[in-house]
Amino acid sequence: MIEIRGHARGGQGMVTAFEMLAKIFSYRYDFEVQAFPFFGVERTGAPIQAYLRISPGPIRVRSYIYHPNMAIVFDEGLMENPALLDGLTADGTLIINSEKPPSAFKGKTRRVVTVPATRISVERKLGSKSLPIVNAAMVGAILRVLGTDVEEAREIIAQEVPVKPEANVDAAITAFSSINEFVDELFRPQQTNGSVAKSPKPESAVPFWDKPMSINKTGNWRVVAPKYETRQAPCSYNCPAGTDVRLFVDLAAKGKFDEALDVIYRHNPFPSICGRVCPHFCQQKCNRMYLDGNVNIGAIERFIGDYGKGAPTAVVPVTKEETIAVVGSGPAGLTAALQLRNLGYHVTVYEAMPKAGGMMRSGIPRFRLPEEVLDDEIRRIEEQEVEIITGKKVTIEELDGKYSAIITAVGSHLGMGLNLGSHDSVTDGIEFLRELLIHQKTGKLNRGETVAVIGGGNTAVDVARTALRFGAVPTIFYRRTKQEMPAIAHEVEEAMKEGVVLEFLSAPVDLKPGANGRLDMVIQKMELGEPDESGRRRPMPVQGSEKVVAVDHIITAIGQRSDPYVFSNRSVKARQGRVELEKPQTGTPVFCAGDMAWGGTVVEAIGSGNDVAKETDAFLRGKTWTKKESSLPVTGYDEINTAYFMPAPGHATPVNIPANLLNNFEEVAGGLSRETLMEEARRCLHCGECFNCGNCLNFCPDAAIYIDEENRLRVNYDYCKGCGVCVRECPSSAIHYSE
Amino acid sequence: MNNMEPANKFIIQQENMYSGALSCRGCGWTLLARYVSHIMGENTVYVVPACCFSIIAGPNPMNLMKGTVVHTLFAAAAATATGVRHALDRQGKTDTSVVVLAGDGGTFDIGLQALSGAAARQENIIYICNNNAAYMNTGVQSSTGTPSGAKTTTDPSGKKLPAKNLMGIIEAHNLPYYATASPAFLNDLVSKLEKARDSRGFRFLMIDGPCPPGHKHDPEISIELARLAVETRYFPLLESENGELKISFVPKEKRPVTDYLKPQGRFAHLFNGTYSNGIEEIQKQVDDSWQRLLNIQNIASPLP
Amino acid sequence: MTETRTTEQPPARQGVLPPHHTKRVMKGNSAAAVAAKLCRVSLVTAYPITPQTSIIEEITSMIDHGEFDATSVNMESEHSVFAALKGASLVGERVFTATSGQGLLYAHEVLHAIAHMRLPIVACNVGRPSFPWNIWADQTDSISQRDTGWVQYYCESSQEVLDTIIQSYKLAEKLQLPVMVVLDAFYLSHTSENVFLPDQSLVDAFLPPAENAGNRIDTNHPRAFGGLVGPNTYDDYNRLFWEDMNRVDEGTNVIGREFGEHFGRHYGAVEAVNIHQNTKKILVAMATITTTVREVLDNYPDIGLLKIRLFKPFPKISILEAIKPAGEDCAIITIDRNFTGDSEGALMQEMKRALYGNTGKVFGVYAGLGGRDVSVETIEKIINLDVDSPQTDEVTWIK
Repeated sequence: MIEIRGHARGGQGMVTAFEMLAKIFSYRYDFEVQAFPFFGVERTGAPIQAYLRISPGPIRVRSYIYHPNMAIVFDEGLMENPALLDGLTADGTLIINSEKPPSAFKGKTRRVVTVPATRISVERKLGSKSLPIVNAAMVGAILRVLGTDVEEAREIIAQEVPVKPEANVDAAITAFSSINEFVDELFRPQQTNGSVAKSPKPESAVPFWDKPMSINKTGNWRVVAPKYETRQAPCSYNCPAGTDVRLFVDLAAKGKFDEALDVIYRHNPFPSICGRVCPHFCQQKCNRMYLDGNVNIGAIERFIGDYGKGAPTAVVPVTKEETIAVVGSGPAGLTAALQLRNLGYHVTVYEAMPKAGGMMRSGIPRFRLPEEVLDDEIRRIEEQEVEIITGKKVTIEELDGKYSAIITAVGSHLGMGLNLGSHDSVTDGIEFLRELLIHQKTGKLNRGETVAVIGGGNTAVDVARTALRFGAVPTIFYRRTKQEMPAIAHEVEEAMKEGVVLEFLSAPVDLKPGANGRLDMVIQKMELGEPDESGRRRPMPVQGSEKVVAVDHIITAIGQRSDPYVFSNRSVKARQGRVELEKPQTGTPVFCAGDMAWGGTVVEAIGSGNDVAKETDAFLRGKTWTKKESSLPVTGYDEINTAYFMPAPGHATPVNIPANLLNNFEEVAGGLSRETLMEEARRCLHCGECFNCGNCLNFCPDAAIYIDEENRLRVNYDYCKGCGVCVRECPSSAIHYSE
Repeated sequence: MNNMEPANKFIIQQENMYSGALSCRGCGWTLLARYVSHIMGENTVYVVPACCFSIIAGPNPMNLMKGTVVHTLFAAAAATATGVRHALDRQGKTDTSVVVLAGDGGTFDIGLQALSGAAARQENIIYICNNNAAYMNTGVQSSTGTPSGAKTTTDPSGKKLPAKNLMGIIEAHNLPYYATASPAFLNDLVSKLEKARDSRGFRFLMIDGPCPPGHKHDPEISIELARLAVETRYFPLLESENGELKISFVPKEKRPVTDYLKPQGRFAHLFNGTYSNGIEEIQKQVDDSWQRLLNIQNIASPLP
Repeated sequence: MTETRTTEQPPARQGVLPPHHTKRVMKGNSAAAVAAKLCRVSLVTAYPITPQTSIIEEITSMIDHGEFDATSVNMESEHSVFAALKGASLVGERVFTATSGQGLLYAHEVLHAIAHMRLPIVACNVGRPSFPWNIWADQTDSISQRDTGWVQYYCESSQEVLDTIIQSYKLAEKLQLPVMVVLDAFYLSHTSENVFLPDQSLVDAFLPPAENAGNRIDTNHPRAFGGLVGPNTYDDYNRLFWEDMNRVDEGTNVIGREFGEHFGRHYGAVEAVNIHQNTKKILVAMATITTTVREVLDNYPDIGLLKIRLFKPFPKISILEAIKPAGEDCAIITIDRNFTGDSEGALMQEMKRALYGNTGKVFGVYAGLGGRDVSVETIEKIINLDVDSPQTDEVTWIK
């Protein structure tokens, strides 16, 4: 007679497995059989036992098995229980569902067999990962160990399983040929007494008791474990400056504006500016947009930035010998300068224009960015003792040898031409803005004149809106559609409200002198074809669609490039960080940042400035630096449990379009009030981060989550059964499964 | 504040229930027990008839609750609670709460007589039914609380008739307080438990009981399903104080009942076309019950 | 230590009023109701059934008139009656109820639970049978509860009902066992007769208030009562139960003697009348039939009577002691007013068990089921059973 004792978790199908084996040995081999469970509290995942006797002759015992010839372990996690080996005979066999080689269980018994039953079952979609139904696979392995033919069992297995007969048979056959065996000839069993669950002697004749249930550790029922893990939020992840957007929004929601400001300043010295002109990639990717509109992060940043106006600054003493020159006082140059200054370097910024600010000053109209806002934030940088020398256009050769490092961040102030021949009435957009903003020159625009603005970016929109304020009649010609416009969407909306006309799918193909000194611009209609490398659909000319538009002015805004002057007219392929120069090389290492390297927005320039500062510092310290990207996943909207976010319509940035635009350069966008702002910040979904909502603790069916002495939420793994309710009910996806 | 909104706080700071319960993963019973014990406190005698909770509450030598537990017979919960109540009163322990924790079998079926008796006598006890809509402790057999369409081991092709309208029976007993609640709406649950605790006379609460093995769903969606049950009006939340019945939560949009049914294995056959008395019928039952509730609510409201 | 009595007359018939007693004419049911009051029961749950009704009516009336400080609850079934007592007894109150026939059968499930929860509940059962409808004297209802773990006393008179209830609480609370006090329908329940009613002070001296022995609900020390028990522990609990059940025979005698010292009326597990070495036949009887046997016995000096007062657990030791004086050839004739679906009545089964190893013959008669009158003539027929003839059946149905 062979006596087999099985150990499994409720729900794994062990009782059915033993039934199958009994039937196989009875129907196919004409053995006497006995299969029976210990019928107890069978909860999914809880350890259970079952028994099987197989005998060629009559079985004359009806009791539990105390000295099994075989112990079958359906779940490797159960091996922690030493009672599992109790009474196993000296030549006993242990069959374990495990990926490990059997030798990993050396010392447990003489003969150990392992079979990867979980893998076999999960591959065949038998049960779930949290509770694989491994019975058919285990039957296959047991049949192999018992020296039978699995083919004989085919029919019985198919009949006995409640669902998926083919998959189960396949699992059994696969497991049959997947066992690994190890025999330890030197194994000597320790003296053990076969035992079943011990029970305490009654303390009283009256059946009452009072031991706390917590003596019953249910942690060993768990197959998957929940774990607190802060993941990335799309807002922070998408901020090129590296700002912890989620954090400052949260602080703003709590009215902690000073702390919020500190959080922003860590990466960005221009929150007031960015609050106004940044495209807010953070906001564009805000998961709340799928619920009821993204959080107006721009308005929050603007409020916090303005809140910081006039706040005292701390000056870091110069502690390092090395000095650094930064060429260009745009957002990249100033950010890099300030970061390095705060690391203890002496930093000098050279600016060709009469005032610092770069493109922020020369390329963004005042109705978007009032000059005092710009001045305030640059003054803060100067207060932190960054030296800025304006009106001085320098080259690296002039600086070579005078500094330990040179950072070039001269921006992209040269517009790309139209290639339709030059004409007096064709102006470059970026130059147009610069002439206006730096030199207060309005160009040749007169009231009532028509202006064709070519392009779809922010410059085009800014030019058109500026033209409008001079009384001209601007039309934007863009070769794609509104959807593909790189300009900030709300700026486009505002422009349209102001009266800018947009002509989409239109590109100028020719330019001819027209009547009355005007220009005849030939416009060809486009249609959108396959997407190009930018992901946007490529505009394809529609043959024969040309038409002529007579205009007074053409202002192009189709792209910008940087001025190579800084490299003393070397042809340098500017890129982020250290750049190798053609000969003659400079003695001082040259780094590159800002629009000239990549990007094209203030915030990208800030990010570039941060990175170049780190790289420069590392270089000066004799180290190498590479940008570290977090490997943590970014939280998607589908991971947010929206049941816990009550509908809360967003608060849009107020827009004040003056009735009469003529010569009105007042700021168009307004700010939000403190209360509205906080309400807006409270709309944050806290993607990927715990915000102490209480759900995990509140909903845990097993009271297995607690707050520790340090006020942190913890999972009590002694009791957690791994049901996953906390994972599911976490509104912000800050709890995840780990194996 | 609105009780139907998320808690946004740690409701239970000090557990009155031990961990280590012998409940399945994602069980509604233990979650309910946490809140009941939290609101009732340790000075409580729980009377538990045969049901899942009679195992969960602790086999020898353990007690799940930081309170007294009296296990009793299947049909006898309300009767045993009656005896406990009067005996405590005889000893002057009128501040000790007596709380029945029963399943749907012990409430809708075998225990209904005792329940009705105690309710009619206005016994000063709180009767809480965790309604998981079948005999789960014995392995998912149909009770009269089992809804139509649900597959159980004794209705292997799905129950043909709808569940008994137990709340209608409760309503007929003129109780000072009765309510339904859901583990997905904890503020509401807590508020109702508090009101039940602070009232006198026979108080009745029926709580929707998620049951992953019985309803055949992944344990992690236990709460989500409970929420869907309310949002689809499948399990309406209602409350009656001194005869005035109110619907606690009127979902803003009418979600189809399939949102609730579909994730559950017990209803899976409804979605593969083998069940003749299908989903429309269940939707109609839900709509009719809701309408009936609206009517009662109107009647129960005082005349102008 | 066993106590056997060989008094000629049952104690209640003695005409002299003992001290601290009042003479009353009372029905058996009244005696039960008054006994509950004298025992200072605090909670009575009830559900009406003929012929028990007057017990609960009198109790509720006494409570209503302020004569009896207790709570009475009108339950909706006997199942609930006993289930409520189970709860109340767990809290530590001294509780009481009475039922009959179908009511007792309906409560069967709860009787097991009460016994195994070791609750010292005392309940009266006024015996009547089951179907078809019949409301008259019959012991099948209580006999069929003999395996529930309740102690069972069968009473002969209103006085004995009163006295036995008082003794039952003493025994119940001492051994943590429930006790059923059985009286015959109408022959006792509705028969008015003389009862010496003890003063409350006398009862108080004998039966102090229920003590909380630390095994009752204490909300300051929360515990679980009942619940799932594993196989080995369940077995252990049963062994403890068995050990205490084995103390009931002697305990009954000890308490009966102590009762005698207080009240002047002595009781034991059994009572032997006219059993001596010349006794040829011993009639074994329970409850009211015993009285009629006493009457007939006067004319039959060689016939003895063994009254079984404690039926469950069957008092083997007391019985063997009581019949010891009789010779080996003395025949035993049991009178069963019950039918348990077997060839032998319950009393005969139990006697055979008690007498296992003895050589004497045991005969059984069924008499008086469903209230069929057991008259002097019936008893004489039993006495005249030809125990020496091989033609005489072992078991006879007597009309």
